[in-house]
Amino acid sequence: MSAITSPARQASSGVSARTINRIVIYGLLALFALFYLMPLFVMLVTSFKTMDEIQNGNMLALPQSPTIAPWFKAWGETCVGLTCAGIKGYFWNSIKMVVPAVLISTLLGALNGYVLTKWRFRGHTLVFAMMLFACFIPFQSVLLPMATILGSIGRFGVTLRNATGFNFGLGNSTVNLVFVHVVYGLGFTTLFFRNYYEAFPTELVKAAQVDGASFFQIFRRIMLPNSMPIFVVTVIYQFTNIWNDFLFASAYAGTGDVMPMTVALNNVVNTSTGVVEYNVNMAAAMIAALPTLLVYVVAGRYFVRGLMAGAVKG
Amino acid sequence: MAFLEIDGLKKRFGNVEILKGIDVELEKGGFLVLVGPSGCGKSTLLNTIAGLEQITEGEIRVDGRAINDLHPSKRDIAMVFQSYALYPNMTVAGNIAFGMEMRGVPVAERQKAIDKVAKILQIGHLLQRKPSQLSGGQRQRVAMGRALVRDPKLFLFDEPLSNLDAKLRVDMRIEIKRLHATTGTTIVYVTHDQIEAMTLATKIAVMRDGEVQQFGTPAEIYNNPTNVFVADFMGSPAMNLIPAKIGANGSGLSVVLDREARQPITLSLPGAPAGLAAFKDKAVIFGVRPEALTDPEGAERNGSEIATADCHIEVVEPAGSDTFAVTNLGGKGVVARLRADARIQPGTSTPLAFNLSKAVFFDPATEKRIL
Repeated sequence: MSAITSPARQASSGVSARTINRIVIYGLLALFALFYLMPLFVMLVTSFKTMDEIQNGNMLALPQSPTIAPWFKAWGETCVGLTCAGIKGYFWNSIKMVVPAVLISTLLGALNGYVLTKWRFRGHTLVFAMMLFACFIPFQSVLLPMATILGSIGRFGVTLRNATGFNFGLGNSTVNLVFVHVVYGLGFTTLFFRNYYEAFPTELVKAAQVDGASFFQIFRRIMLPNSMPIFVVTVIYQFTNIWNDFLFASAYAGTGDVMPMTVALNNVVNTSTGVVEYNVNMAAAMIAALPTLLVYVVAGRYFVRGLMAGAVKG
Repeated sequence: MAFLEIDGLKKRFGNVEILKGIDVELEKGGFLVLVGPSGCGKSTLLNTIAGLEQITEGEIRVDGRAINDLHPSKRDIAMVFQSYALYPNMTVAGNIAFGMEMRGVPVAERQKAIDKVAKILQIGHLLQRKPSQLSGGQRQRVAMGRALVRDPKLFLFDEPLSNLDAKLRVDMRIEIKRLHATTGTTIVYVTHDQIEAMTLATKIAVMRDGEVQQFGTPAEIYNNPTNVFVADFMGSPAMNLIPAKIGANGSGLSVVLDREARQPITLSLPGAPAGLAAFKDKAVIFGVRPEALTDPEGAERNGSEIATADCHIEVVEPAGSDTFAVTNLGGKGVVARLRADARIQPGTSTPLAFNLSKAVFFDPATEKRIL
């Protein structure tokens, strides 16, 4: 008898133990999710509230009379420092900086990865190790040397303008930021692409060589079309990092009309004209966060797939 | 003058010599198979012909023109890779046309060439598919189509059948042979499979450790191996290499094979090679292929040098078309190939016929053939 009943009892106690485990795990996960989502929730509801409601109501309460006026004010009227034309100009500043910086650093990273795996030269591991090292250099240590370099580039731009009447963008703050982000991002993008191309079949490159394709033709026709997952990963990673960067932005483009979004947002919040307009500040912060959210939502499923690529042979 | 000539080719990586002086040549329309165990340098040799690897010394000529310093695309060669190396982002038609596209061939001409090749290989219905939608055999055909469409001077195949299952491999082997016969192209083919080598080749180069061990027609390689390695590598089941001793038999020579707990077998050798006299009373390696060691009824009736001896049969393996019997001679298991219906029992003593005209002798010290 006991031989028959004991497995059944074990099974039932096993089921209940598993249920408890599940409850604990999901409970904890829900708690953490709540903890992380709370600020977003507060930002979101606050941005749709009127000032009255903010001053007199509960912070967590849903808006009684929802309004999108704060969003319009943040976009077109709020004061950043002394100019009161909203954040839209700075939003476009960021776009103008992020898009070229992301594309250039990603393409250069792909090219580096291609050379480091398929056109190996003596000392390629050393070069790669040094590029990897770039990933671990803290932003702060780059600030001063980079300022010196940007200064020199700016002076060269002036010389060029005197000589040719055009400075080719040298010395322009946006160009400077693109340059800084490309240089700083190269370590990461090279790492991503090198590891992806390491597992990329070399026979394809050889076949293309026999077919008569040149170095760049192989890159453009064979390598790039087959690197979609890692391309998306790199774009998301670079876009998020560069869009969210505050340190380089405030150091090299911290004043005037050239500020990127992050610096402008800081100035919106710090500009006090009597009452602090929390709803406008929150709306501005939401606008600042939207592009990275959008990029992740659109391309996120490639992100996870790309990070996993090569982990298990498909 | 041969069509493909490889002269004293050497390839070094740092201090390591991968290819140690290769001399091979092939007539126009020939089929050269480079065969050997993995790591013997056969793929490296093929890559140097393709131009995917640089050579350190020597010369490679095709049709009288030295090509060893040319870029792969300028050598007028086409290559079929082991993994097929089809471009995953392009359709079958795009794959086949890529080389022509790179050389700036007009679209109409490309289309005509694609259609022609698709007809030869019967892949017309696959042209708009991507490689991932093809089976292994179809991919193999497309890879050959990509090579064929270029109409090159020289085709290079790098173990093209090793990723296919056993049945498909035999089918594709026949297909390649038919293709070679109908198009009359010149082919260099790398494999580690000695059956592929024997069936396809007009010339075989057996390689080991970066050296050509023997270069010749399949029959030469099979019947007259120059050393123990070639004898052992080519043929399935492998040649029996039996430690033996040369004795005197009146005015002639004989070979003495030791047996466990029994009298040694002594076989007289009327047609012994001249070099064997120097090995009188010395040890040699006696090589005899399984088909030259058979039941007396199955032996060649008009064979001039058939000698029969009783052997103790240890294992019998009926394989359907043949029956293999294992006996022990000179301390080694020796395989005999008998007729399928040979009546033979393991554990009994049975007369076996040695066809001594097919036997070969090797020097145990140098492992070279005694001629």
